[in-house]
Amino acid sequence: MADASQGKLIEFKGASLAVMTAYVRETDAVRLADAMHMMMGGMPDFFAGEPVVLDFSQLAGAPDWVDWTAITSLLRRYQVQPIGVRHLPEHLHEGARRANLAMLGKEGMSAERPVATPQPAAPVPQPEPVAAPAPAPAPEPVAEAQPATGNTAAPTLIVERPLRSGQQIYAKGGDLVLLAGMSPGSEVIADGSIHVYGPLRGRALAGARGDTSARIFSTNFGPELVSIAGVYRTFERGIPQNAAGRAAQVRLIGSDNQHTLEITPLQNDH
Amino acid sequence: MTRVIVITSGKGGVGKTTTSASISSGLALRGFKTAVIDFDVGLRNLDLIMGCERRVVYDLVNVINGEANLSQALIKDKHCDNLFILPASQTRDKDALTEEGVEKVLKDLSHQGFDYVVCDSPAGIERGAVMALTFADEAIVVSNPEVSSVRDSDRILGILQSKSRRAIEGREPVKEHLLITRYSPKRVEEGEMLSYKDVQELLRVPLIGVIPESDDVLQASNQGTPAIHLKDSDVAFAYQDVVARFLSEDRPLRFVSYEKPGILKRLFGGK
Repeated sequence: MADASQGKLIEFKGASLAVMTAYVRETDAVRLADAMHMMMGGMPDFFAGEPVVLDFSQLAGAPDWVDWTAITSLLRRYQVQPIGVRHLPEHLHEGARRANLAMLGKEGMSAERPVATPQPAAPVPQPEPVAAPAPAPAPEPVAEAQPATGNTAAPTLIVERPLRSGQQIYAKGGDLVLLAGMSPGSEVIADGSIHVYGPLRGRALAGARGDTSARIFSTNFGPELVSIAGVYRTFERGIPQNAAGRAAQVRLIGSDNQHTLEITPLQNDH
Repeated sequence: MTRVIVITSGKGGVGKTTTSASISSGLALRGFKTAVIDFDVGLRNLDLIMGCERRVVYDLVNVINGEANLSQALIKDKHCDNLFILPASQTRDKDALTEEGVEKVLKDLSHQGFDYVVCDSPAGIERGAVMALTFADEAIVVSNPEVSSVRDSDRILGILQSKSRRAIEGREPVKEHLLITRYSPKRVEEGEMLSYKDVQELLRVPLIGVIPESDDVLQASNQGTPAIHLKDSDVAFAYQDVVARFLSEDRPLRFVSYEKPGILKRLFGGK
């Protein structure tokens, strides 16, 4: 209630928000509905009303016409709130505008998560961007990061208690830090990186929305499964000798669609 | 202030009821007014272990449904004056337990001046087990030195963190203790069994004791005598240690290392 802002009932300011992007590769509403059902079948409210930008840069073919009403209502059924489109072929703009979707240019809005280190200017299309892992519904998700409200930094979710078998944590939009380790049968998911101080023994899925630069760190490495941006690995034949039970990290190496997970022990390990 | 202790494990057959009987008896022997409640509705066992099965008239479900009052249902233990048993119903199922009903029973016990209420949880993670842990202040998680038991204990620790009243209301979390039962130092030595250190490392909960595997437990059950009362039994000593540690006394771990019995040892009676 500062005096200066008293007079203004509405104020416009520039802000850059982290917004999820849905790369739409198909405009046929029925086929999209099928795909959404396959992906989200168990968790119809996974997105919890999140705003989403529809990106058509990877659209297959060039349809003459798009049923925007069908697409937006399909997304809303999954609690996804479409707010705008980008990379949409010119001739489809009019229809999208009539469906109340904003036109976002390349530079109109940063749809990628802000990255701390300077990156090449051109936004690199990510290989599996909408491949949210659609994890099996867990009986009791113990916590979820609060969605960023107005602040630009992605929130880091910090969990101080040990994560037990059957528990699941999702750090939406940011990193996840576990201060007391996790047990076999537990699952952690983060849109950013995952840091585990203590044993990492369950399933860890970083870069859940396709961030290929996400990593997984642990001071005591022994997971059941690790995944970064949808590229996963299980350890049926045991954890690599040089990393088992020690400080280690997992990252994605390679480029384009030739990604592989690399597990390396970290220095300063005693 | 009454402290509510849940004895829980997830897995069945690990020794929850044996532990409930011995710990409640141990607390009563120390002079605390103690009640032990069997939450295993439908598979009532505690009364057998406590040797009071022939005196059961009313049970927990009767009290919850208002068909009997608490004083009518509480059975006085035959070994300890300060110990009372509230048996489970054998004919009903676990849906008969309501949160309001259980809360009321615990409140009434508190009004009657009980120091400790020990809740013997059924196996599993369904209603009965959740009801037993909902109002707990402390939890003794019973685990055998074996991977599936450890996994289930871990699961129940997670449920304690999410479903107990303390967790839901954001109060200080339930105080967790790990009790390892049916421990055989000889089999650990031979590499057939997880060591207590392995189990503790996996669960990361403070260890309150290790109970050795012993035929005495079966014998005690058959007699309807809680194992803590046995004479010259390692199991009884181990449970006495657990009670002492629960009351914040310092006791070194016993019965966790295996030494081949030798002739000298027999002669001089070493530990």
